[in-house]
Amino acid sequence: MVFFEQLAGNLLYGIILGAVYGLATMGLSQIFGVLKIVNVGHGAFIMVGAYVAYWMFVLYSVNPILSIPVALVIGLALGLGIFYIVIRRLIGAPELASLLATFGIGIFIEEVAKFFWGPDHRGFSWNIGQVDFGITLIPNTKLLAFFSSVIIALILYMLFQRTRIGAAIRAVVEDREGAMVCGIDVSRIYAMSFGIGIAMTVIGGILLTLFIPVGINPYMGGEYTLKAFVIAVLGGLGSPWGAFIGGFIFGLLENGSYTILGLIPGVEPFSLTRFVAFSALLVILLVKPTGLMGGE
Amino acid sequence: MLEAENLETGYGPMQILWGITIKAEKQSITTIIGPNGAGKTTILRAIMGMIQPWNGKITYDGDDVTMLPPHKKVERGLSMVLEGRHLFGGMTVKENLILGAYTKQARERLDDSLEIVYTLFPILKERSTQKAGTLSGGQQQMLAIARALMTRPKLIMLDEPSQGLAPIVVEQVMDTLKKLREELEITILLVEQNVLVSYHTADYTYIIENGQVVKEGEPSECIDIQEIRKAYLGV
Repeated sequence: MVFFEQLAGNLLYGIILGAVYGLATMGLSQIFGVLKIVNVGHGAFIMVGAYVAYWMFVLYSVNPILSIPVALVIGLALGLGIFYIVIRRLIGAPELASLLATFGIGIFIEEVAKFFWGPDHRGFSWNIGQVDFGITLIPNTKLLAFFSSVIIALILYMLFQRTRIGAAIRAVVEDREGAMVCGIDVSRIYAMSFGIGIAMTVIGGILLTLFIPVGINPYMGGEYTLKAFVIAVLGGLGSPWGAFIGGFIFGLLENGSYTILGLIPGVEPFSLTRFVAFSALLVILLVKPTGLMGGE
Repeated sequence: MLEAENLETGYGPMQILWGITIKAEKQSITTIIGPNGAGKTTILRAIMGMIQPWNGKITYDGDDVTMLPPHKKVERGLSMVLEGRHLFGGMTVKENLILGAYTKQARERLDDSLEIVYTLFPILKERSTQKAGTLSGGQQQMLAIARALMTRPKLIMLDEPSQGLAPIVVEQVMDTLKKLREELEITILLVEQNVLVSYHTADYTYIIENGQVVKEGEPSECIDIQEIRKAYLGV
């Protein structure tokens, strides 16, 4: 019975963390869907978000949830700047060029962060109580992160489905040249999509800080780049909504396996969760190569 | 209405057009014919701004529009039906049409445009909630033309609209083009592989070979119908 209680508790935690994983991956999928560019430097923008949360908390006592608008502005500015300086020249270029460029941008951002803020781990503690679910205790900060992720994802969904700009973005995803002859300024849509994609990633970084007990440092992003790739592929690379659902699946797998692996004697469960998640990815790709939510 | 002078362009290091000069008079149907790979599609793409001209000048409605990007040209009333149609297959017929009215001027006249398009192609009204990708080839071509009309163009360029369609459907498409010219006063520039269709539809024809105009004139002057019958039908 203790086992099932533990499993249920971890799965609940997996759903909550999964929503944040999903949000933190939507930007990657969005950018790939519109620009057909894989942002290998994804994790660096997660790290930027984490530092935004940290500095806002430490310097101005603004809590991470209220820092989201700040992250939005910083993310948009960062995204648009990088788009016009680098990415604009890479549209339609060979894949290797865009991979190297985004990889380079990621390293550049990490090194700049290290230069200013040093390589050490930093942390802050924001405690506003917790909720007892019977099976487990969940801190209110994590619940807030969960609800923020869901709300932001819903806002984005409305933006895509209900607005003219959203329709134009979907049109570019479906057929770039068809969009051109409709009078859609395709290069502007690229710029906006990249800006929004980076902003979502930075916001995802803010919310992830609420789940990191060991604190943040300039190289923390690498782990999230890996996770984001798994999640994006689970959701069918290129679809932000797929990525959001993929985040839940990944959260459940990661945390569910933790409990189950703990039953095996002599196994340290935490060190194996990533192995399980990536094995699941392999199995899914073997069964359905377009990803779980992927189309044709 | 539209004039391209001495147009030169290509892809990467490969030059495709070697000084093309063509004209489309107001409210006329002008066709460009020629063998595969002659550069017909490239002419339309260069005029639209989808590839940049290396040399030469494009005038439209009296203005130099050589370097304008495609969306600016759409705003000025230049539209294009691409080869292979390029519809938004996952969206409904109506969503495709509404996206056609994306520019500010076109959006203000959206309802009016929808009515015109639905009168012209009643089948699109019937199928308005169906996904564009599930339409038949002929219907998709109608939708592609309808989407171009939604931009409220003064001139439409069409790239091989008869491709892959049954002869009877090709005839319908050509009748539609004549209607557009007469009823909506739209100028038409048509790239056509099908010489016979071109012969019967055009007011003026350019024959392109290897990126150059080799012959131009009214279809009866520049197309030797006897020779084509022989080549196509063996009579």
